[in-house]
Amino acid sequence: MTYEEFADTRLAPLLRYAVMLTGDPHQAQDLVQETMVRVQLNWRRVARADSPERYVRRMLTNQYVDWRRGSWVRRVLLRGEPDSTVPVTTDHAQSAVDRDEIWSWLSRLPRRQRAALVLRYYEDLPDVEIADILGCAVGTVRSSISRALATLRAEYVEA
Amino acid sequence: MIEDDLRAAFVRHEPLTPSTGPLRAAIDRLARRRRQLRRRWQAGGTALAVLGVLGIGVPLFTPESAGPPQAAGLTGASDRPVAAGAVNVLLVGIDNRGSVPPLADSVLLLHIPSDRSRPYLVSLPRDLKVPINGHDTDKLNAAFPLGAGHSPPDLTKGYELTRQTVATLTGVRIDTGVVLTYSALRTLTNEVGGVPVCLPERVQSAHTQRVFPAACQRLDGAAAVDLLRQRYGLPDGSQGRDRNARIFAAGLVRSASDQGVLTNPVRLAKLLGAVGPDLAVSPGEATMLDLMRLVPTLRSVDPVGLSLPVGEPTGSSHFVQADPKLAPEFLAALREDRLGDWVARHPGQVSPTR
Repeated sequence: MTYEEFADTRLAPLLRYAVMLTGDPHQAQDLVQETMVRVQLNWRRVARADSPERYVRRMLTNQYVDWRRGSWVRRVLLRGEPDSTVPVTTDHAQSAVDRDEIWSWLSRLPRRQRAALVLRYYEDLPDVEIADILGCAVGTVRSSISRALATLRAEYVEA
Repeated sequence: MIEDDLRAAFVRHEPLTPSTGPLRAAIDRLARRRRQLRRRWQAGGTALAVLGVLGIGVPLFTPESAGPPQAAGLTGASDRPVAAGAVNVLLVGIDNRGSVPPLADSVLLLHIPSDRSRPYLVSLPRDLKVPINGHDTDKLNAAFPLGAGHSPPDLTKGYELTRQTVATLTGVRIDTGVVLTYSALRTLTNEVGGVPVCLPERVQSAHTQRVFPAACQRLDGAAAVDLLRQRYGLPDGSQGRDRNARIFAAGLVRSASDQGVLTNPVRLAKLLGAVGPDLAVSPGEATMLDLMRLVPTLRSVDPVGLSLPVGEPTGSSHFVQADPKLAPEFLAALREDRLGDWVARHPGQVSPTR
């Protein structure tokens, strides 16, 4: 498989996945962009993986989880390129989305927990694969998901 | 039930996903730019390696016992065979103006593997926290002044303590080394009739107020030293300086090779003879002539740029610590002459574009 073929079929699903992780289309674009630049520069290594798709998803997830000041966020912010690539979403669906409570609660979760939720409830992956992507044990996946759900339930009660 | 809400929330937000077209173009653009940067860095690395080789050549003409330069040394006979096995050369760049003990601005290991495939340039961060023999734990660049002392600073002793510190830190056998000073650089620049550089950004000297425009220009020795001392006020501080140094080194090598200095032993001897007194070199186990004779045996002179893997700077003094996992692996590979292998497994570590 060439990089072009990979991007043809996988870029859109990766971008959707990044939107679910970050909750924000701009950040999702930056996250995918940074990951895919590295994928392109190191394509031979990526292509050698058993499943390039899972390999890249793991890269992207790590990038998101390691998201600290001084890592890719700063590079992205300092890049200073115009945001002409971002479509403006101001339709009614968008404003409904802004009132979406569960969505805003998600943003307060630790990133690993949010990633685990997205992988299970959006990507519908089995726990074994989630553990592989997050680089931890299956038990750790289950406990972080149940902790995340507990946090969300507590928000429900308060709300 | 909360699980169902979650699923629904995710699906509801799918329309937030932007289109991929512009993103894909941006990825291609950025990847292209990083490839260019990488190539440019490699060119700079080549220049540094040649500078190192120039340095390696020096002791031929300035042995500890002194004596006039002898061109015969370069072409002439040596009874010793060309060194076998891997070779490590320590390059220390220092700022030796004034009477204060000089700090080491850059510490590099030039590693030539036993298969003679290509040189590796390993930079050791100058803020690395290291134990220094006979002193407290300090930054790597402090080893030089601690060894050299005050009145007057002894470059040989400064080099020696730096060598011990690096040897203890890395466990690598250091065959020989060279100290590059700003005054050596000034002489070298003047000897080749100035060095052309094209600066990407305007630089104003904090020391002399001299302004270097963002343009192509030819620097004489004094201007070169002035430019290379500038760190504060550059957009990325010492990274900006490293970049200017690479541009300068490439220009210096170009100037030298345009004049045939690198291939003409007599001219090279004359050049190094002129620079010689400003260069302090430690006599190693391998003679310099042996090392000089290695150069033609290399399959490629294009060096691989590497850096000791380190963590983020910590504390108010910005110490950096070796990466607890990657650094030991890296150093083991360096010691056991397996760097080619290591680089293949860690392509992300090549060249300091991080």
